Amino acid sequence: MTHKSTGDRILTVDTLARVEGEGSMRVQVRAGTVTDVELAIYEPPRFFEALLRGRSYLEPPDITARICGICPVAYQMSACQALEAACEVTVPEDIRLLRRLLYCGEWIESHALHVYLLHAPDFLGYESAIDLARDHREVVEQGLRLKKAGNTIMSVVGGRSIHPVNVRVGGFYRTPSRDELSMLLPVLTEALADAVATVKLVSGFDFPDFEQPYEYVSLRSAYEEEYPLESGSLVSTGGLSFTAAEFDDYITEEHVARSNALHARLRGVDAYVVGPLARYALNADRLGPVARAAAADAGLGPVCRNPFRSIVVRAVEIVYACEEALRIVQGWHGAAVPAVPVPPRAGVGHGVTEAPRGVCYHRYELDAEGTVLDARIVPPTSQNQRSIEADLLRFVQARLHLDDHQLTHDCEQAIRNYDPCISCATHFLDLTVERS
Amino acid sequence: MSGCAVVGVGTEDRGDDAIGALVADRVRELGAAGVTVEPVATPLELLDVFDRYDSVVVVDAVRSGAEPGAVTVSVLNESPSPARRPSAGTHGLGVPEAVELARALDRLPARLVLVGVELADVTTGADLTEAVAGAVDRAASEVLRAAEAR
Repeated sequence: MTHKSTGDRILTVDTLARVEGEGSMRVQVRAGTVTDVELAIYEPPRFFEALLRGRSYLEPPDITARICGICPVAYQMSACQALEAACEVTVPEDIRLLRRLLYCGEWIESHALHVYLLHAPDFLGYESAIDLARDHREVVEQGLRLKKAGNTIMSVVGGRSIHPVNVRVGGFYRTPSRDELSMLLPVLTEALADAVATVKLVSGFDFPDFEQPYEYVSLRSAYEEEYPLESGSLVSTGGLSFTAAEFDDYITEEHVARSNALHARLRGVDAYVVGPLARYALNADRLGPVARAAAADAGLGPVCRNPFRSIVVRAVEIVYACEEALRIVQGWHGAAVPAVPVPPRAGVGHGVTEAPRGVCYHRYELDAEGTVLDARIVPPTSQNQRSIEADLLRFVQARLHLDDHQLTHDCEQAIRNYDPCISCATHFLDLTVERS
Repeated sequence: MSGCAVVGVGTEDRGDDAIGALVADRVRELGAAGVTVEPVATPLELLDVFDRYDSVVVVDAVRSGAEPGAVTVSVLNESPSPARRPSAGTHGLGVPEAVELARALDRLPARLVLVGVELADVTTGADLTEAVAGAVDRAASEVLRAAEAR
């Protein structure tokens, strides 16, 4: 919907297409200058933090998985890590690796969905993946094969392909046998080839000439050979370094009147970016050999500041996830136990992992019986929201000569650079229910 | 590719949205010969079901303006889905998009039927409304009729 008058212009998109969840965007132009950009979210807010209070400490992995159908593993992994930290339990290495494998499945599934079905149509000039499929059937089939490979890992390790049911505090309910994991080898080998082809495909797209001086924040793994997934501490391109337990000291969330989502700020910096571009900038040295070669062939330098090229980095991360999944499966000899005991303990625990869209933070306060007294969840999209608006402000200013239809389309594409998961971003810190 | 698959689409704890899964459960209980109930986690997984069966019946909650609980039957493999609008699911691709994607990729089964149950309420955490809960048997009968007509 568009209203136009001399010098003034208001551009509104009531329903953003090809993003997860529901949101809208409003851009205001006064006398030829962009004066305001609002990314508004109107999906009903999520009440998970309030819902978790009073529940058993064993429940958050299953409950928070329901926040998102695309990245349930991220919620399960951050929840487990936080609850195990509160109870002062560390899981054995084989359980950590199995979690990492499950997470690889989610990255492959989520990234393949975004790259092929949500984002590629923008670059290839199609309104949707359906239109793209009519002209480029092989391209879409390649994306669907990759997504299915991710689903297969999720089913074998997690018990089913969305909202996995096999994850628990302390480990898993059941660990797959060596034979079961070996069945993944041909799937992953084909997926790795598809992933490399994906990097080649998307690196050939035309990208707008647009860079931003982002502060990037991501995890850095304590394991020297590993790109961050299921564990690590936080680092930033500006030199900040802090642990999950210090998250609250560095990152604050505030409510913005126009949106149900919370906006996050980094201490001393304000807006920052999490997700593939941030992980790559801070961990390119940790990619596996195939992913590193694919990134080099794609012409990615050590840091990428063009958000439109995030599709290339996302593709490189699919390569990494396939490589890493293969490495874990090939080295798998079975777990000694599916889970370790996690006796409840009064305390506070923090968990932080790398969801496909970026840092996902959980904090739980428990009493001695393991009842959740307080819960806090910071998903990646709320952390990126200020940067998305900053991108739009500059991006629109340079494109005011375009007609409204084209400008609206370009703005939507700029939002999709972040693969925003708006379902995840909407949640409230405090909820009071008055009953009469 | 052979036989007929029945797929119930929908989410529990979202009011009437659960109807697809409930109807599929009823079809399974009725146990018709040559009819297999296939679970899918997301509408996109319909494509994998399409690859494996000649005939597929999808059951889903629909919103067309009819009376809540009304059951409609549409044959989708001959003409584009009657529902084509921005995704109603939170995952970007709903049943209409999955069907049209399959059509574009030439992956539709020989016969694809949608049995729709008109919804009234999809509030998070809500139970089914009475009108929609009362449609389970009628919808299951339509599913079996569609499955046998292959």
